[in-house]
Amino acid sequence: MTPFTPASLHRQQKNRNRKMQEGTVLSYTVIHTNSHPLAIGLIQLDDGSKILGQLQTTNYKLQIIEIGQRVQPRISLMEVTENGLRRYDVTYEICTTKDSPIKSPAFPGYILSLTGPSGVGKSTISRMLVTMFKDIAPVPIITTRTPKESDNDNEYIYVSKKKFADIQKKGDIVAFAHLEDTDDTRWYGYRAEDIENIWTKGMIPVVITERHLLQGLANHFGRRSILSFGLLPPGRSRRAMLSALLHRLRERGRDSEESIRDRIKHAKKDLAFFEDRKDLFDQLVVTSNLEDIVNIVRRTLPHLA
Amino acid sequence: MNADVFLIGGGLTPFGEHWDKNIRTLMDEAMSSAIYAASVTALDIDIIVVANMLGQATNYQSHLGALASSLLPHKPPALRVEAACASGSIAIHTACALLESNKAKTALVIGVEKMTDSDADTIAHALMGAADEEHDQSCSLTFPGIFGLIAQRYMYEYGLTRDELSLISTTHHRHALDNPFAQFRMSVSPEDVSNSSMVADPLRLLDCSPISDGAAACILSTESPKRNSRIRIAASQIANDALSITQRPVLTSFPATKDAMERALKEAAISREEIECIELHDCFSIAALINLEDMGFADPGRAVALYQQQSLPVNSSGGLKACGHPVSATGIKQIIDTAKYLKAENHQWGLAQNFGGAGATCGIHILERTS
Repeated sequence: MTPFTPASLHRQQKNRNRKMQEGTVLSYTVIHTNSHPLAIGLIQLDDGSKILGQLQTTNYKLQIIEIGQRVQPRISLMEVTENGLRRYDVTYEICTTKDSPIKSPAFPGYILSLTGPSGVGKSTISRMLVTMFKDIAPVPIITTRTPKESDNDNEYIYVSKKKFADIQKKGDIVAFAHLEDTDDTRWYGYRAEDIENIWTKGMIPVVITERHLLQGLANHFGRRSILSFGLLPPGRSRRAMLSALLHRLRERGRDSEESIRDRIKHAKKDLAFFEDRKDLFDQLVVTSNLEDIVNIVRRTLPHLA
Repeated sequence: MNADVFLIGGGLTPFGEHWDKNIRTLMDEAMSSAIYAASVTALDIDIIVVANMLGQATNYQSHLGALASSLLPHKPPALRVEAACASGSIAIHTACALLESNKAKTALVIGVEKMTDSDADTIAHALMGAADEEHDQSCSLTFPGIFGLIAQRYMYEYGLTRDELSLISTTHHRHALDNPFAQFRMSVSPEDVSNSSMVADPLRLLDCSPISDGAAACILSTESPKRNSRIRIAASQIANDALSITQRPVLTSFPATKDAMERALKEAAISREEIECIELHDCFSIAALINLEDMGFADPGRAVALYQQQSLPVNSSGGLKACGHPVSATGIKQIIDTAKYLKAENHQWGLAQNFGGAGATCGIHILERTS
């Protein structure tokens, strides 16, 4: 057991925000101890991560727990120590609604993902990888934004918001992100079909993601399927990194000053995401030299042609 | 393997509750019988590898390398390794590495655990050290609880029934009837298992391996024994996986076993079909099924058929369930029992699979009997 000290308590508290989510029971058990039975569930939280937590049941015999049931977080008193300190933690209350049963995903294949703030060089690296390796194929992004001259062929599929919502409703879009700007909200998404088609050809799909898209893909295909690279701008501090991004965005001259401001705002959250969800990344790479990145990919995937 | 490593002797204490023995006497007993069984003397031992998990937590005794060394007249160098329930196979793996690299010519490997001195809560907490402190322990989960979650999910996905699961412990108990070293030499019917008291739903008391004291020692050497029938370690492989079950994509399979198995078969240069007997890690009944599937002897969800048909000798010793499970001794006891079985039945290839935690470490050894 974790020692009950102010420091260990503080570390536990840091995780509490993540724990305060609804989720679905993947499996459960009732442990019969000397004092009272204890129901514990393995829960898939709505952000895709999994957690072990006590399940709140009034009476474990009367309330039937089932795999696939929805749960809601509650703060409960876990214990009172000898010197009177009260320890609280998140437990999960069983809801009556039932989710569609989650099947353990079979391992479908690898996806190469490049995640990072706008201007870090995701598209450039993706294009380089696609031209250098025959086995890597890009996945088209469904977007509601208007086409730009600088866009490459086949990189985007442009749709209206209505059309986007329709595809999404059908369940074809497995990962999506709504990026709010001052003037508009841009929607981006990936279709499972596009990725699966690349697999059937025996190739490895490469996707350009940000935090929501990456989480969506990890939820759908399983974290294990994703070979996830986090791309960091050069710089020793967060401020230096943001300034490097600002320079690049201005240099490439594609965006208005206002849009650049929005992008920098998102970039702050993106950089924090590397810290918060370390588990979603296999490697963090600084994009000072693009050749290095290709070499890292080559080293990680030695069989690539 | 970079050198031929032979198993030249093995010794066990009976597993069970040894109120009159402590860590030192258990080790002494197993070491003495291993040396007696081998063709070498104590003075030929160049190094000792000790496997132990709970010494510090339950017996206030760490520094077991020195303790083991002090039991031999020439105080050979000794070290201790730990990988929860896989400590035994990790110790064998370490000894093989020392022998293969010619650091030593003859190594004594000993696994020891003295668990019955502590009360149930202390032991349960200490064993939870094999799971992830941050992600698994905070909600008062126990190890039977972890395997309860796994079993629940397995039954949900593959439709395994309670009666089918009960067959596992019944079979292992039947095998242990003739094993003088086993903790429980009694037959248990499937009904007994299904009606035993609930531990962690759906696992019942007779699904779980017991708390035991015991030690197992074996002597490995690169010098070939002058005997007709020799046991060679044909493969020694270990593999790892995420420590916490919350960080695994699936609950009902342990990728570490798959990895270790593939590499072990490659190292021994044999196919799966050539293996004639298996000692596997059945800390809980459900684990036996998952292990057989991960090692490729059955399709996912179908391993129970092997128990129904009795088609492969699995855990002929009685396994962890019936022999007892003194955590770190288990991996070494499996090797000794596999060797015994190969000699008794005149078989060529045997396999021992030993895992730690919920499959976060897996060690697989393949033994070959040559004549």
